[in-house]
Amino acid sequence: MRKLLVMIAADLRQQVLDKSFFIFGLAVPFALMAVFNLVFAPLTEDLEPITVAVSVPDGDQLGAVVPQVLSGLDGGGMPVTVQQVDAADATSRVEEGEAGVGVVVPEGFTAGLMAGRAPEVTVRHADGTGLEADVVTGVVDGLMTQFTSGARTLAAAQALGADPAQLGQLAQEVSAGGSAVAWTPGESADEQLSPQGTIVAGQAGFFLLFTVGFGVLGLVVEREWGTLARLLSMPMPSWLVVLSKGLSSFVLGVVATAVLLTAGSLFFDVDFGSPLAVAVLLLAVVAAATSIMFLIAKVARTAEQAGVAQAIVAITLGMAGGAFFQVGGSGMLSEIMQVNPVAAMSRGLGVTSGGGGVVDLGPVLLTMLIFTAAMLTLSWLLPGRKDAL
Amino acid sequence: MTTTTAPVLDADGLARSFGSLTAVDGVTFQIRPGETYGLLGPNGAGKTTTISMIAGLLRPDAGSVTVAGVPLGDRPIEAKRHIGLVPQDLAIYPELSARDNLTYFGRLQGLSGSRLRERVGAVLETVGLTDRAKGASKKFSGGMKRRLNIGIGLLHEPRLLILDEPTVGVDPQSRHAILESVEALSTEGMAVLYTTHYMEEAERLCDRIGIIDAGSLQAEGTRDELVDLIGGTDTVTLAGTGDLEAAERALADLAAVEQVHRDRGALRLAVKGAPRAISGIVNATAGAGMTLSDVEISRPDLEAVFLHLTGKALRD
Ligand SMILES: Nc1ncnc2c1ncn2[C@@H]1O[C@H](COP(=O)(O)OP(=O)(O)OP(=O)(O)O)[C@@H](O)[C@H]1O
Ligand SMILES: [Mg+2]
Repeated sequence: MRKLLVMIAADLRQQVLDKSFFIFGLAVPFALMAVFNLVFAPLTEDLEPITVAVSVPDGDQLGAVVPQVLSGLDGGGMPVTVQQVDAADATSRVEEGEAGVGVVVPEGFTAGLMAGRAPEVTVRHADGTGLEADVVTGVVDGLMTQFTSGARTLAAAQALGADPAQLGQLAQEVSAGGSAVAWTPGESADEQLSPQGTIVAGQAGFFLLFTVGFGVLGLVVEREWGTLARLLSMPMPSWLVVLSKGLSSFVLGVVATAVLLTAGSLFFDVDFGSPLAVAVLLLAVVAAATSIMFLIAKVARTAEQAGVAQAIVAITLGMAGGAFFQVGGSGMLSEIMQVNPVAAMSRGLGVTSGGGGVVDLGPVLLTMLIFTAAMLTLSWLLPGRKDAL
Repeated sequence: MTTTTAPVLDADGLARSFGSLTAVDGVTFQIRPGETYGLLGPNGAGKTTTISMIAGLLRPDAGSVTVAGVPLGDRPIEAKRHIGLVPQDLAIYPELSARDNLTYFGRLQGLSGSRLRERVGAVLETVGLTDRAKGASKKFSGGMKRRLNIGIGLLHEPRLLILDEPTVGVDPQSRHAILESVEALSTEGMAVLYTTHYMEEAERLCDRIGIIDAGSLQAEGTRDELVDLIGGTDTVTLAGTGDLEAAERALADLAAVEQVHRDRGALRLAVKGAPRAISGIVNATAGAGMTLSDVEISRPDLEAVFLHLTGKALRD
């Protein structure tokens, strides 16, 4: 027990010393909340209709997300007409005043992102445009930030032979998601979250998938450092090492998410309802997110691979869970996509902000419990790289 | 029934495969207190795999390990208490200082309070890092990192210290320091298991050497026993004055002496098992009226032994 605490304390101390926990766990998600909030805040005012001319290179999977998101604004209270044009037209329409904003996604956009380069999308405003054009720019900006947050780790993929396949899969998931699901921003039918609440919950859920990596994925880092072998040679059961990493992740996840939800609700004026119910939800969702990391730690050979896998999982679950845009639609696919910590966070907070208590969270909690158990069982069953693990 | 001569380590029939590759195949050996045992073998011989099984990191497919009388398979935690492992790859936290690395692992070894502080101080002294105890270890030179890596294995004063190729990639000065501290430790009664593919290190440090190749021990013994094993001939050079011709004839009659050459003021002999034959040789020269001024024996080295046993050179 004392040794368990020694290991957890060392992990947490390490995270406090290392800035990336603060950057990826707190600062970036909070900044994104602010950006998105800025984007959605004016929705309460009357906005003028605006036409956006968007050019996307043929077959560019991530680029294709841009017009989809912008079209989504139309349903969210801002009348937007999106015209898909080629690059030259995007510029000329803005110059001739036919479109308020021109957005040009360059050739090789997806490839560039995957190679770890910062995305460069050109946004041009027509003369005399107002708040509406700023909203469009803000949305594009926010989207680029989302893409970039994964890009740092995705960059590592370049060095790894096996990964283009994995990345291709990500790209496919993104584009398949785009066609199979109608993205609609704003409030979803049965949840009580305000647009601001949706943003806060979505971002908190999405970044949780990065935060919980700081503990468990440390197993992979320590395997590379060789310190894992040393830990396993210490006079203590080997599961204690694994447990300590899990608990570190859990603590970091709970702290970061609690801070984000609190800060989010204060700054963006969101009421999530009963603190007790929110706390219970938080524990369940963080446990589920942590359990995914064990699976990654088991499969990944290197810390770089683990980072890539984590980014892929976070973006996929984030999209499916509606961290970026509310996912509408119904049926099987939609149901499956709800079995996901990001979705559970939004759905659960919807329940609590609508006045629901712990009991009303039942289905969400149960889903997360099953999810956690399934992930842990799977990672337990997978053949390990080392016997002791 | 732990007496002083009971082995600290008893490895019995250890075997381990990875898929279809048999990495270790029935390795058996023992190490007594104060004894340094060398596992000498080329890359991929199975040294690290053997050590991993002994340190409880890898489950053997067959065989058993007993450390200080405690069976590792049945009571792993208790057995591990007696083991200090120095892994082949560096196993230190780069962000932490030498002192923090030692303190952390010391706690996990179950040390605390003043005893922990005392041991950390003592180990820093042993590995010569007292002056550099504070800075992050990632800024250390390769040799300093290696020394810290070794220090962590010494913290809890284990009965058995396992060193897996501790001098690989180390500058001559650090290497010298490492070899000296290993010698000092075994004098204090620690049993040391030392793997290397450097023949000179095995010769210098180890009381007994196990030659391992392709997962099995090819031979085991002291350096002299191993050399005798291959039945190689030693070269004995006798320098002196007096009747060298008579000495030459007398020596040629000795059973152990295979050849004698006279070379100005010296006799050069090819001898089977020189350590045992040397007194007879010296007596024979005296009897023939030769006064010796210098005797030199040179034996085949472990390199030759390895070549003989495996048909390949130790270093590739
Ligand atoms: N985890 C593993 N999975 C698969 N094969 C392994 C594993 N560990 C070791 N091996 C294989 O087992 C054999 C013995 O490896 P081992 O590391 O024990 O050799 P070694 O004597 O320590 O070599 P070196 O001097 O290079 O450190 C090698 O062929 C190696 O490739
Ligand atoms: Mg090795």
